Amino acid sequence: MFLPLEPHAHANPDPLCGESQLTGLGRRVSAILFAVKNLVGAFLLAAGALAMLPLFPAQTLGQPAAQQEVPPAAAPEQTAVPSQTAAPSPAPSGPVIALDPAHGGTDSGARGPSAVEKDIVLEIARSVRAELERQGFRVVLTRNDDSNPSYDDRAATANGYRDAIFISLHISSTGTPGAVRAYYDQFDTPIPPAVVAAGASANSATPPGISQTGVLTPWNEAQRPYSTESHRLADLVQIEIAQHFPASPDTSSGVAVRGLRSVAGPAIAIELSSISAPYVNSLTGAAVPLASAIARAIQAFRAPGAAGAR
Amino acid sequence: MSRHWKIVIAILAVAVVIGAVSLRGLQRHLRRLAETQAAEEKARHEVLAPPISTPTDVTVKAKIFWAAGPDNIAPVEIELPLSADPVQRSRQLLHALIVSPPTPGQRTVPADTDLLGFYILPDGTAVADFSDTFSSEMPSGILSEEMAVNSIAQTLASNVPDLRRLKILIHGQEVDTLAGNVDLTGFFDLNSAPQPGPGANSAAPPSAAPEVKAH
Repeated sequence: MFLPLEPHAHANPDPLCGESQLTGLGRRVSAILFAVKNLVGAFLLAAGALAMLPLFPAQTLGQPAAQQEVPPAAAPEQTAVPSQTAAPSPAPSGPVIALDPAHGGTDSGARGPSAVEKDIVLEIARSVRAELERQGFRVVLTRNDDSNPSYDDRAATANGYRDAIFISLHISSTGTPGAVRAYYDQFDTPIPPAVVAAGASANSATPPGISQTGVLTPWNEAQRPYSTESHRLADLVQIEIAQHFPASPDTSSGVAVRGLRSVAGPAIAIELSSISAPYVNSLTGAAVPLASAIARAIQAFRAPGAAGAR
Repeated sequence: MSRHWKIVIAILAVAVVIGAVSLRGLQRHLRRLAETQAAEEKARHEVLAPPISTPTDVTVKAKIFWAAGPDNIAPVEIELPLSADPVQRSRQLLHALIVSPPTPGQRTVPADTDLLGFYILPDGTAVADFSDTFSSEMPSGILSEEMAVNSIAQTLASNVPDLRRLKILIHGQEVDTLAGNVDLTGFFDLNSAPQPGPGANSAAPPSAAPEVKAH
């Protein structure tokens, strides 16, 4: 693209090299040509940059080009937080919420043209934590830097508390921009009687990971007894999410999410679409409405008489 | 106008013309490359993994599950010669799923994915072994990974009645996740009751789309 500069440059040697041998008109011409060379170079650079722009649309696999054109109207709604956020923070009470910013370290997660999932979810998690703490919840993060704890280590953060609720935060590579989905882990194979018994007693005082019959639950089966609870929590969260993020579905989805399998308690994943959105920076603005949706859903989940109340 | 200014303008004009010509040529070249990329991928697959044909092939209307939008998959009926042998039939179906999406936007499995092996165990467990590219070129995300696994599982469940559940391997190995999210250490049931949800078919009647559940 910049080949035309080369012969031009050779035909006009650098004026600084032979300045002492130039006089009067020659020096002026030389200076003008030097300026012209720089001008042409800058012009071609600018023209080249402008011409190349449409050649590299930000496409991702399985995603139609039209979806890049979604108007900003589909962006997460910046809903006002309930008035209680302005009030002094109440004393922390109720269940511990373990917020899990997915990925981290060398695992970037979804990659977009200007951001990666691991950074955005950490930023969102910090904002959601601040918002939930203002509303009186006790919140812990599974990571608060660019590290990548194992799935079991992340689960252990929640499993250390008797009544923790685990919420993993994700950004998708694809999907309708502005949509937010809640997922619960789905188990379908026949389960051993001991694990069934553990599920039936999920609300009892038995410590997490140990069934009433005293049989230890394997790490990768820890979530199975809590499937029903997690499903109900995901549905409640999804209902609240749909009110704040209009492009979202009305019901949650059951998927084999690895990050939820080792959690011995109610556990869901929330995924925002998407990292490839042209307004990806607005994703961080979703933290406040997301925290509001989570808070309302957990209040409903723990309401007296509800199945998940303790 | 002085002679120097004329020289300057002439040089500028020549530079602009040469720049415009070379840029336009480069643009055309890149556009041609982009257009032929899809065709090359298809041709490469046809050379590396030619369509499987068996003596018992009968052309039927097969339901292949491709993306029906950014958030869900739906069956597309295509005429496909399918073997009576469940292993060969499954290979033919997965070959069509990977190689022949109607449009690039309907693709759920990365284009360079190869099916390295397919086996059916006596208990009805299907084992599909894919190349590394299935994992390495899959966009990370619960939604994208779920759509990929569901498109494979529902395509098999809808066209191969003998299969009970599916195990997905990557290059012969059991891996933790497909691309960081969806668990591949367990099995995906192929014959459970239907249940709606994102990633599952939303266009067809529930009876036409057996739900695929994990583990």
